[in-house]
Amino acid sequence: MSQLSSADTTTETPAEDEAPVEVDERRQAVLDELTRRLGADAVVGSHIEPGYDLWVRVTREAWPEAAVAAKAMGYTFFDFLSAIDWLPSPFGRDMDAQEDLLGDPAPAKEPQPIVQGHAGGETRFQLLARLYSISAGMGVLFKADLPDDDLSVGTWSETFLGANWHERETHEMFGITFVGHPNLIKLYLPTDFQGYPLRKDFPLLARRVRPWPGIVDVEPMPGGDDSEGDGE
Amino acid sequence: MGLVESGKLPKTLSKLLNISRKYSIWAYQWGLACCAIEMGAAFASPRYDVMRLGVIPFPASPRQADLVVIAGTVTDKLAPAVVRLYEQMPDPKYVISMGSCANCGGPYWDSYSVTKGVDQLIPVDVYVPGCPPRPEALLEGIILLQERIAHEDMAERWKGEPIVVG
Repeated sequence: MSQLSSADTTTETPAEDEAPVEVDERRQAVLDELTRRLGADAVVGSHIEPGYDLWVRVTREAWPEAAVAAKAMGYTFFDFLSAIDWLPSPFGRDMDAQEDLLGDPAPAKEPQPIVQGHAGGETRFQLLARLYSISAGMGVLFKADLPDDDLSVGTWSETFLGANWHERETHEMFGITFVGHPNLIKLYLPTDFQGYPLRKDFPLLARRVRPWPGIVDVEPMPGGDDSEGDGE
Repeated sequence: MGLVESGKLPKTLSKLLNISRKYSIWAYQWGLACCAIEMGAAFASPRYDVMRLGVIPFPASPRQADLVVIAGTVTDKLAPAVVRLYEQMPDPKYVISMGSCANCGGPYWDSYSVTKGVDQLIPVDVYVPGCPPRPEALLEGIILLQERIAHEDMAERWKGEPIVVG
């Protein structure tokens, strides 16, 4: 499990022999202000990496207000909006080439439990968006849980016009509906495309037809020690 | 050129026509991805100077072009545009598929959105391998195409119905 996908509660690399826990007062102040504006019930999770970044997880109902509140606080630069599918791949690694499995002799075939990243989470799908304050020189990453049976959320495109296309892409890639979006049609994919390609359970059919060959450079490279060609 | 279509063209005249055709290829640039940078270097820079091969890379429209260079990743969404481009070109027309993506899908071989080779859409005359190919590779592809044109039997090519794609 990589660093990014570790939950907030687990501390994999405890820095005991280093300085005591660093406190990022500026980001803590931002978090407090956001919590004050949105209400304590709306902010369900947070994580601060001192000197690096701030994660704020809000409820789905508070998602549009979070943009309004952050914009009023000076976070006027809209960076991106997307989503995460935390479901481990249901296909496991059975489509990998045998060569790629050599370093990992026992790849997990069984579906692994869902482990969300910073600021925690409870659902498979999470919204993810980042705002930046140019004057403060800091950014905030917003997250929101979306229940599987109702993948819909209020739009940000009224607050940030730039969110329009980001939400269209998130809609076509994950199947998330943005309520109030003015033009929620496909952006990149062909109009008649079926399925949601960035979901983890979207099958890559080309791999079924022709598995990944893995190491393909089996020929000796010219100039290598194994090269037989001396007919220069 | 009714003489060509009738198949009664004398061989020497056919050869002369082929030579003039191979040294006046109007190449349409269809740059789609990083290969377009290499194609630009090959076609538009004085360093490689493609005009010395008799290739004129500035047709204003596909309707003036003899050759189209598909340089880059063809996606399923773009496929209708590629077919339409090819249909707009006047016969005789040639296609160079440049780079791994246009040849077979390349690094996007398992993608949900990339066409696995432009030859699934239109007939390709020369494949230039590489990711992306260097400008020299594209120039060699053009020379190979010129050889093909030089040995082409126009009557044979035009015997049947015009090529219809799609």
